[in-house]
Amino acid sequence: MTQVLTAKSLGIRITLCLAALIVVMGLCTLVGSQKVSLEKVFAGPGRSPGENIDYEILVGIRLPRVVLAALIGAALASAGVVLQAILRNPLADPYILGISSGAGLGVIVAIISGITWNFCGGSPLSVFAFAGAIATVWLVWLIGHVTGKSQVTSLLLAGVVINAFFSAVIMFLTSITKSNQLLSTILWLMGSIRQQDALVLRISAASILAGIIALFIISHRLNILSLGEYEAKALGVDPAKTRLLAFSFSAFITAIAVSLSGLIGFVGLIIPHSVRLICGPDHRQLLPISAIIGGAFLVVADTLARTMFGQEQWPVGVITAIAGGPFFLVLLARYSRKVSRLK
Amino acid sequence: MSNIIEVKNVSFGYVSQSRILQDVSFDVIAGTFLSIAGPNGAGKTTLLNLLCGLLRPQAGSIMIDAAGIESYSVRRLAQKIAVVRQEFVPVFDFTVAEVVSMARTPYLGTFGFDGKIDKDAVNQALEATDTTQFAMRPMKNLSGGERQRVFIARALAQNTAVMLLDEPTSFLDLKHQVYIYDLLKAAQLEKGKTIVAITHDINLAAQYCDEVLLLTGRKPAMQDIENRSQTPPSYLIGKAKDIFSPTKIEDVFGVRVFTGKVGKENFFIPLGRFAKDSVQASIL
Repeated sequence: MTQVLTAKSLGIRITLCLAALIVVMGLCTLVGSQKVSLEKVFAGPGRSPGENIDYEILVGIRLPRVVLAALIGAALASAGVVLQAILRNPLADPYILGISSGAGLGVIVAIISGITWNFCGGSPLSVFAFAGAIATVWLVWLIGHVTGKSQVTSLLLAGVVINAFFSAVIMFLTSITKSNQLLSTILWLMGSIRQQDALVLRISAASILAGIIALFIISHRLNILSLGEYEAKALGVDPAKTRLLAFSFSAFITAIAVSLSGLIGFVGLIIPHSVRLICGPDHRQLLPISAIIGGAFLVVADTLARTMFGQEQWPVGVITAIAGGPFFLVLLARYSRKVSRLK
Repeated sequence: MSNIIEVKNVSFGYVSQSRILQDVSFDVIAGTFLSIAGPNGAGKTTLLNLLCGLLRPQAGSIMIDAAGIESYSVRRLAQKIAVVRQEFVPVFDFTVAEVVSMARTPYLGTFGFDGKIDKDAVNQALEATDTTQFAMRPMKNLSGGERQRVFIARALAQNTAVMLLDEPTSFLDLKHQVYIYDLLKAAQLEKGKTIVAITHDINLAAQYCDEVLLLTGRKPAMQDIENRSQTPPSYLIGKAKDIFSPTKIEDVFGVRVFTGKVGKENFFIPLGRFAKDSVQASIL
């Protein structure tokens, strides 16, 4: 009689979306500046490196990049969902609590101090970005916790203030650095999917997926928490504990995403909203569907970024903003839940 | 007849200099309807927050179903007590059915999906509050009265022994005020629930409740507490017809009232200085 989400219908929807994601990923792997013959790819890697170029381009270069894009998109979209719920603010995105400026500060410190050592074959920038992001988020949480009786507002304020403060420090540091270092910082901040070492990719994939699953387990409590602290307690959900869990997991996966790809904007804001407009606000559904759609969205955006302009690669963050903005506005105008109910 | 709520010598203040509640003791018998009345700032909502475990008393104890309230986990307390606050609109656009089924949260397993029992409880609650016909509508599109019915449905679906309500009818028109009180009374009489409701409407309270707790808002100064000197009582408890007497109402609320009777219960109409009947009375 009443239609509230059931595990079965959710399972069907997740499976359908996952299938769509896999199709999108497959198609995007085939697209690129270099024509690749599938026939040759299926022939296998060959005996010596360089024997089957088609296989190496597709499996060695494009596929990891597509997988990485899907992971980052999923991480940012789910973190966006969660932060909007715990802050009870539809304007929240994964970067709202200081992650962006923290990561940026980490990177600029690394660039200025001229650190060049390698970490698992990856650049040290990622490590510094991750450390900066985690440290900043922890600082924001601490300030919010110490100052706030009403935690949500003080968290938001602490995040905004720390973001502004660190941005000022970043601007100061960039103004005193040499110009060639400046460019690498700016490029990093714009956000782009880069090739990563296989081990880094595996560790990040496992961490992001584990984070999203953990968030899914607490997603029904996020529904309750979005009603406010008093309501949450009255309905048997410990608001402080749930908020801490949700906050830690989402900060963790965002920090991983940021350290892999820099600041890719818009995914964490528009994907949760788009999915919410179509599927409703139940977080048990909103979270997994947003993760999958976010992954697909970033895969497509990154494919555009690497193919639209021939050999030249655009920062994917630019694509997500340019493509995502208008797309979201159309969605907002067409589907509000209210309109769809009027018939 | 056992006590479902026992409040013993409870004191609470937000700052150390002044106490909102001082040495309050009362019991609520299971299956009865208690109204909490009193002037603004007398501590009604504070008391409600103490009863639902949001605040901890600074002195004294609160027992829920024979166990100290502090011994309950958030989840277990939510299986005993449902809370309805003044109606509000959720940030996200949940439907009525979604909001009501949230009541089942304290009973759900790890992944938070409802089973048959949960669905039945939700459907029954929707029917009891006559909200089934707009179960699929978003909360935003409801009127204040409809929304309040949904929150009462949620409290019913939570299947608790006790329902606490903070001014459930404050923004509602006459018809909906009566409708809400009828719903609460039905829950009490048919399901044996204990109802504790804060209200400003002493006339409705008198018609529906079994007992009244009237917080007078008289807070004894700290030195009086220390000296144990006699101070006027900070609360009164008893049957509606004893507590709601013209002298007590005029005294506690500091307003002149016209007193009438409906059946056995008094009703009151406050008369301000420029009220038509006040002006006439002063001419005569």
